[in-house]
Amino acid sequence: MTDEVGYLKAQLEEKEKDIVALKNKLAHLEKSNASVLELYEKVTPLTPLKAKASLSNEDIMRYSRQLLLPELGVQGQLNLSKTSVLVVGCGGLGCPLAQYLAAAGIGRLGLLDYDEVELSNLHRQVLHGEENQDQAKALSAANAIKRLNSTVECIPYHLQLSSENALQLIQQYDIVADCSDNVPTRYLVNDACVLSGKPLVSASALRMEGQLTVYNYHGGPCYRCLYPVPPPSETVTNCSDGGVLGVVPGIMGCFQALEVLKIASGQGSSCGQQLVMFDAQDARFRSIKLRPKQAGCAVCGENPSVTRLVDYEAFCGSAATDKCRKLNLLSRDQRITVQDYKSIMDTAEPHLLLDVRPLVEVDICHLPTSLNIPLSSLEYRKSEHIQLLQESISQLKQQMEGDCRPPVYVICKMGNDSQKAVQVMEKMSGSEVDSITVKDISGGLMAWAKRIDPTFPQY
Amino acid sequence: MTAQVTVLYFAKSAELSGLKEEELVAVPTPISSQGLWSLLLQRHPRLCVLQHQVVLAVRQQYVAIGDELVALGDGDEVAVVPPLSGG
Repeated sequence: MTDEVGYLKAQLEEKEKDIVALKNKLAHLEKSNASVLELYEKVTPLTPLKAKASLSNEDIMRYSRQLLLPELGVQGQLNLSKTSVLVVGCGGLGCPLAQYLAAAGIGRLGLLDYDEVELSNLHRQVLHGEENQDQAKALSAANAIKRLNSTVECIPYHLQLSSENALQLIQQYDIVADCSDNVPTRYLVNDACVLSGKPLVSASALRMEGQLTVYNYHGGPCYRCLYPVPPPSETVTNCSDGGVLGVVPGIMGCFQALEVLKIASGQGSSCGQQLVMFDAQDARFRSIKLRPKQAGCAVCGENPSVTRLVDYEAFCGSAATDKCRKLNLLSRDQRITVQDYKSIMDTAEPHLLLDVRPLVEVDICHLPTSLNIPLSSLEYRKSEHIQLLQESISQLKQQMEGDCRPPVYVICKMGNDSQKAVQVMEKMSGSEVDSITVKDISGGLMAWAKRIDPTFPQY
Repeated sequence: MTAQVTVLYFAKSAELSGLKEEELVAVPTPISSQGLWSLLLQRHPRLCVLQHQVVLAVRQQYVAIGDELVALGDGDEVAVVPPLSGG
């Protein structure tokens, strides 16, 4: 009898616990549903972020492991909760950055990206999932952040940062993080931060390398102090051309989060006059001590010539995107379409198909009959490749039995490098190799995949 | 006087020089930072596209490319660091 009473009591207690847990879960869900995220298509004024007087019990539990750090403590945590951070770019750097800032309890996060989620983003842009493809990155990132910490105020901006909106936007935030992927945006963000007096925590990554500096911070330099002249656009490699191992921007984005948190909590950053470089191949960090801000700097100097935002795409000679630009170097009769090439293939017309992509890309996919000689080998006349080319052309000439100019068709991924290769080969024709007729295949293998062979891989 | 220094090439400069690191056995010292840069350009003419976009560092310290004299010692590290813009 007493056994049974005890058993029932224990059971009842358990059920009561379940009920409490269910009620909490319901309250939490209702709370997060109440704040359905709205996507901002333009910059609007925000209400000032209110400082908390003290931490709630829930705050104390959630942040307990970092509250224990003397470097942070309660005051540091309260400082975080009243700081707003604008994340420019929700890609490989912006995703881990936003994730750690939200987890640590930053007050407000502006998440800006003009782009939508694509399958080729997911290896590094770790807040987005398969189901978010084609969704605005800003919204996808904000939803992921909300699931992690619903107390962080998230403002997703689906817009391109421009000279028209950058100042109005940046003025509303305490700290700016540059997680962008192109040169014009880097100059725009820099100038807007200088003009509005905000610290700029800037990182970048490509292939197996990363860089980080905090600009415009405590007398340190701005981006223009270091790089007064933008690079010629043809010397800039972006992630969609050069590739990047996902974990490299992951590490740099985390590093950015660290510096933002140090500034926001009141400890201060130690990267204000330092360029930190990460070499993923050697697993090594190095830092270079920089000069203070430069009196002669065009934007942060003593007599600045840049006193308002300018046209950064014109200044840099490139578009504010990392998407591949389309070159137009050749005349119409120097180019054929993928459809033209398909009929050349079908009629078995003798020709040489030259694929000028780097070997690593040829390994991903190629047309079976192509000869691979990378553009750089042509440009720098790499002897074994030039010899290979000479042999292939003279074989073709013999096969054609006549004193005609054998046709060479040049292909690459998108139809940019193939045009450069045609220009190089026209110079070689008749001297370094037999006289040839050389044309490029417009749109390259990606056009082939889209229009001719849907089973051909795209990358 | 000459010094033996290690030159480290980062980002685009590694691609253009085809090297991540090289030893230069007899670099005159003291040398102007412009002189040092010209010496690297002589070895790797393709670096000239980086002319105005590069951070040059000696012993982990930024050096503006110009008339400033740099004293080099054996084992010193010279770094060539063009900016990365991807993200």
